[in-house]
Amino acid sequence: MITGNEAIVLGALRAGVKVAAGYPGTPSSGALSSLLKMDLDDGRHVEWSTNEKVALEIATGAAWAGQRALCTMKMSGVNVSYDSLISVAYSGFRGSLVVYVADDPGTSAGMCEQDSRGFAIMSDMPMLEPASVAEAYKLVQVAFDLSERTGTPVFVRLVTAISNSHAPVAVEEPVPPAEREMILERDITKYTKAGAAICTAQHRDLIARLEKAGEIIREMGLNQLQLAQNAGGLGLIASGVVAAYLDEGFEIAARYGLDPDAVSVLRIVATHPFPVEEVRELLGHCDTILVLEELEPHIERGVIVEAHRLGFQDRIVGKLDGGQSVTGLSRVGEYGVEQVVQGIGQALDLPIPDDLFRGKVEAESLAAQRPITCCAGCPHRGTYMAINQALKALKLKKDDVMVTGDIGCTILGMNPPFYTIWNEISMGASVSLAQGYVYAGIQTPVIATIGDSTFFHAGIPGLVNAVQHQVDMTLIIMDNGWTAMTGMQVNPGTAEPFQQPGSHRVDIARLVEGLGVEHFFVIDPFQLDESAATIQNGLTLPGVKVVLSRQECAIQAQRRGLKAGAVRVIAENCNLCKLCITRTGCPAIGLGDETIVIDPALCYGCGLCAQVCNREAVEREAVS
Amino acid sequence: MSHATRNTQHASRFTHHVSRFTYDVYLVGVGGQGVLTIGDLIAEAALRAAIPVSFYPTKGMAQRGGAVKARVRLGRETVGANIPEKGADLVIAMEVSEALKAMRFVKPGGDFVLYGHVWPPTAVMLGKAPYPELEQVLEQVREAGAVVHYLDPERVPLYEGAPVPANIFVLGAALDGTGLDELLDPAAVQELVRTRWSKGAEQNTLAFEAGLKAMKNDQ
Repeated sequence: MITGNEAIVLGALRAGVKVAAGYPGTPSSGALSSLLKMDLDDGRHVEWSTNEKVALEIATGAAWAGQRALCTMKMSGVNVSYDSLISVAYSGFRGSLVVYVADDPGTSAGMCEQDSRGFAIMSDMPMLEPASVAEAYKLVQVAFDLSERTGTPVFVRLVTAISNSHAPVAVEEPVPPAEREMILERDITKYTKAGAAICTAQHRDLIARLEKAGEIIREMGLNQLQLAQNAGGLGLIASGVVAAYLDEGFEIAARYGLDPDAVSVLRIVATHPFPVEEVRELLGHCDTILVLEELEPHIERGVIVEAHRLGFQDRIVGKLDGGQSVTGLSRVGEYGVEQVVQGIGQALDLPIPDDLFRGKVEAESLAAQRPITCCAGCPHRGTYMAINQALKALKLKKDDVMVTGDIGCTILGMNPPFYTIWNEISMGASVSLAQGYVYAGIQTPVIATIGDSTFFHAGIPGLVNAVQHQVDMTLIIMDNGWTAMTGMQVNPGTAEPFQQPGSHRVDIARLVEGLGVEHFFVIDPFQLDESAATIQNGLTLPGVKVVLSRQECAIQAQRRGLKAGAVRVIAENCNLCKLCITRTGCPAIGLGDETIVIDPALCYGCGLCAQVCNREAVEREAVS
Repeated sequence: MSHATRNTQHASRFTHHVSRFTYDVYLVGVGGQGVLTIGDLIAEAALRAAIPVSFYPTKGMAQRGGAVKARVRLGRETVGANIPEKGADLVIAMEVSEALKAMRFVKPGGDFVLYGHVWPPTAVMLGKAPYPELEQVLEQVREAGAVVHYLDPERVPLYEGAPVPANIFVLGAALDGTGLDELLDPAAVQELVRTRWSKGAEQNTLAFEAGLKAMKNDQ
């Protein structure tokens, strides 16, 4: 059993990939993580890069040098890398570049529910969308061939339900990177963008490359058209993951009068370029068309265009057909067997009960809320508490002080019991967003918070801007040494012993000093009063202040058997006032009959609970 | 044309896809309870029995204390990972309140294994938020038309003075009296549990066997 993410990298190994780079992001992280765990020593290079744009540029360099390269990211990562990616697509190359993107319809992990197919359309890049884990393994290999044959980068797009699900796949032996010819091609008309003539020619070439890709895709038969024996029936178009639900959907719809043999099916695996020929054939054969695709109606629009050109007058059922209220097919969320069955019912007027897939949703409203919170021992807890304490000491109300937030575990400060953080846009945005608030004329201090990996990723340009313009703000960098939220990946700031062999740690402290930040402080978030005092002092100073809050992620430290201390309850002093719980929200603390109880297995010994207790009922001892 | 004929025709076209028996399991609980391990073991046991399987775990962001869920789909060669509402033949819920989140997925007439553990979120512990009564949850299962299999956490046996892993106990229980044992041989699953981890073979076996018996005692 392997996951869809693993299928991507195993397929890439089979295709002889030489360079693989990416940035972690749920649901794509498992791909490169599993590749790094393999400790390959067969002449390949694998790395977590500083951000997706850097990763894409590294993969591009390798592809331009004639090699096979893979770049991995979540959908939001495409936004970051796209400035380069579209330019690379316009240039083309002689090697092979596959961009693996994992979209998250249904938003299991947060961030925008965006449809990356739009990016393929904008940059005229072929996009392959496997319907299953096994197909992902095969299609990533096809993608490398397609990229090499057309000289264009190729997207492989999975969704969470494939990238994170496990299925049995017959995996073949990896193929070592082939002894490919190294290419150093000097051709400014291809590899630069200097001048209108160059850019216009590149646009023409780009369009020609996509056409060629379309021909190859047709030759390979990637998009599968199965016409029913008799003309005039239903033509069903299924894209990507939706195809995996067809058999099940047909079985269920058959109970309500569907004759599956009378349905013509077009399975679209290569969603871009648009499969014009196959769609026209389907339109010519059928009198009703049903389009089943998750998120945006890209294919549906293409079908409508072809229908118009052919003079097709009959129904095209999908998202644009009167909206969700009529078809039940939404631009929001995942598609499953429900959409297959209800879509067929809609298209053929079958008596499918409305409540066939309507379970007891209302039961959920009785469930206890479980807001995501910091792990026991999380150093971020100390930072939020210190910020709150500093504001209180300055007699400022939390609702009057803007604390911008950023991507990753540091956003947990938005939740109870802290309510410290206000907002979240994209990687690194907290730093620049804060500057906008300052310029807007906010009179209270403006604070930005960001994690270490996010700071490296895209926070640095914002800080450079703040220093240049001498913005009156405080940046708090919460450095736990790992890219934690996505599963503990290494980042530039991770301690030296955990860097990949040959890699070197980049120290945020030296970086901040190097930028010429005048007021720079380092705090230990497990020392609450000192940290709060430092932040309080910082908030009263003019100009750019940077506070670096440093403690390793407790999950990672505990995996190595480390504890920050030993905490115990002094029973006779505890009166169950619950202050320790209301202030820290630590999951290691529970209520006993007469005192609070601390779960020794969970407790990391950070001692924040001991520092907020005003009855000396919790004691912390340092461990040597 | 009768439905039966249509089904036959359907089968004729998709013969290589249609298996003799399909079975969907929806699992919920709280991070740290070993919910995903149950799903993983069911999937692994199916794989060993040459039953087509898809296993789709989803964990929240928090290491512990967050809601987790998993879906295991057995018997289809080509299958999407998600189980539709009212589609799960079996729900396994490891926590009382989290069980409510699985309610819409259980098939009327399906089995609902509920392990009666209560893991109160902080707000509940502080008395600031409500937590559902067990009876309320059981009533919801009945209203969903499913068969309740309630497991009292008190029944989890001790091994050398400490409770054995509850998830293995629950897995054992799920293999008795539900439809799952028509696909998976409980003895084979027990063997998988015994050999899965280098340490703890004895306590895991004890947990599994106690689970297998737990249902019988309840009925």
